[in-house]
Amino acid sequence: MFRVMLYTQWKWSRLIILLGTVAAFALPIISLQGAARADRNPLEAQDLLRTVHSWGTLYPVLAAALGLLVAMAGWAPDHRGRHVHALTLPLPRWRYVLLRCAGGAVLLAIPVAAVLAGALFATATATLPPGLQGYPLALAVHFGLAVALAYAMFFAISAGTARTAGIILGVFGALVVVQIVAGVANLDVDLMSPLQIVVLGSAGPFAIFTGRWMLVDV
Amino acid sequence: MCNSAGLFVLLSAIAARPLAAQAIEHQRLRARTDSLPRELTRASAIADLADSLEHQRAFSGRDTIAVGGLRIVTDPSPLPVRAAAERAWPVLDSLYGDAAQLLAQYPYVIRAFDPDTTAPRPTVYVGLTVPWNMNAEILAQLLVANPPMPAPDYALASWLGGTLRPTTRAGRERTDVYLQLVTAPSTPARACFLGALAACRIALGLQSGGDVLALWYPEAAERRALVTRTFPDYFNHGANAGAFRVCAGGVDSVCDALLRQVSAGSLPSPLGAQARTTVLRLALRLGGRDAYRRLIADSGAPLFERLGNAAQANMDDVLARWRLEILAARPPSVALPWWAAALALAWAAVFGTCALRSSRWRLG
Repeated sequence: MFRVMLYTQWKWSRLIILLGTVAAFALPIISLQGAARADRNPLEAQDLLRTVHSWGTLYPVLAAALGLLVAMAGWAPDHRGRHVHALTLPLPRWRYVLLRCAGGAVLLAIPVAAVLAGALFATATATLPPGLQGYPLALAVHFGLAVALAYAMFFAISAGTARTAGIILGVFGALVVVQIVAGVANLDVDLMSPLQIVVLGSAGPFAIFTGRWMLVDV
Repeated sequence: MCNSAGLFVLLSAIAARPLAAQAIEHQRLRARTDSLPRELTRASAIADLADSLEHQRAFSGRDTIAVGGLRIVTDPSPLPVRAAAERAWPVLDSLYGDAAQLLAQYPYVIRAFDPDTTAPRPTVYVGLTVPWNMNAEILAQLLVANPPMPAPDYALASWLGGTLRPTTRAGRERTDVYLQLVTAPSTPARACFLGALAACRIALGLQSGGDVLALWYPEAAERRALVTRTFPDYFNHGANAGAFRVCAGGVDSVCDALLRQVSAGSLPSPLGAQARTTVLRLALRLGGRDAYRRLIADSGAPLFERLGNAAQANMDDVLARWRLEILAARPPSVALPWWAAALALAWAAVFGTCALRSSRWRLG
């Protein structure tokens, strides 16, 4: 059963996975661009760190995009068919959801492996100044966790009804509106900062997307 | 003959007139120049009088609080001055050692003001003005950051980039120096990182004499980087703009010539003031309670020697120890801590559970 579901999910999301894999493999290599040149001045450590840091901002973006697109692709045919096919299967819902979720997770392992391969290749071919080290495994683990979290969240939203998604969006929208109105009325109300701390703080659900995404560091 | 003599006298008179005028102007300017020292003396005397009056105003009618060698002159208020002084004194004493007793001669002046009033506060030129609701911890930090120690000699102050002050974030400073060692675009800094103590001495600006530019930035690429990144505003305009472009294009002799226009004192040292402060603090720590006094005793000696005297140790040993301390302060790696990974997986599990318990299909 799992194999069939994995195959169908692969058919639905192969373009996303392929593009994501190419991007995931290329990103670490591009971020160390020039570091592999023979004429590179090994003293330009600061420039190298700055470049790696700049490119590093794209890893969480790629992780979130992959999680979102694969989660949506996993549920889109079910939504289109109004879940009739799923209901005809001799499966309880929780098992069906689990199989769907596992299928997407397996497919997402491909771009995560591509980040690891690209990072290993990039650090192996680069001439790093003394004092700087490559962290390909740490970066791949970070990326993998971010992909897993993004996928889990968007999978949960996609698995729900339009009403659930509407409630979630409505709550966020209401907070934004209240904040804007408070700003216009010159009231000392700050909803966004506490929300940011809750969501992106060290114990928050999206803390994994923050921090330093450095392939090379001291 | 008579006509000739008359003409000569007339011409002489005409020629002498501007000369005489010039002489008068010269005398006038000379008098004005001579008056400048007198004016300076008078202005200095007035400034001294103003300072004296200001000091008298600052010190009169106030309490003096003594904690260790600290003397704090303050007006009666709820400000926790004594508690702050009790916190600040051990920090100051541990840095300056016996020399901290000098602070008894240079009291702090603290004026507390009411933070809730909108009444204008009197302007003060002596001491610190703080709200009386400031807590003891912050006030202690303020005392530690502004010790009224006499300024060190010019050589030490210019090497250090200011005066030596205690720190409450020594670990963070060492980490910053680690980053400087790794990222400074200078061969001595990199060699120091790799263990060459002679290079540490150069990178810290402790060498005596020599061509500073050649010592600090021996590689052509480093000098080019210095011109194009550190001094672009200085060189990339006017008469130097052409040479700047040639240098940026890779002609190293031009970069060298441009940098020779800058005085040695204006060249940025490979390791900044923070690195120098850490090595000085280490020397004082090694040298015991009399280290600071030894440091400031001989202001004419080379700094390398003075630091060694302060530490009462071979300066190479001090530098070796300093390097080890800096290497030990390496910043934490970018690898995620286990708890962050566990937390991310836990949140993923929470969202997964939400998906399993979704309302869709809840048909019975």
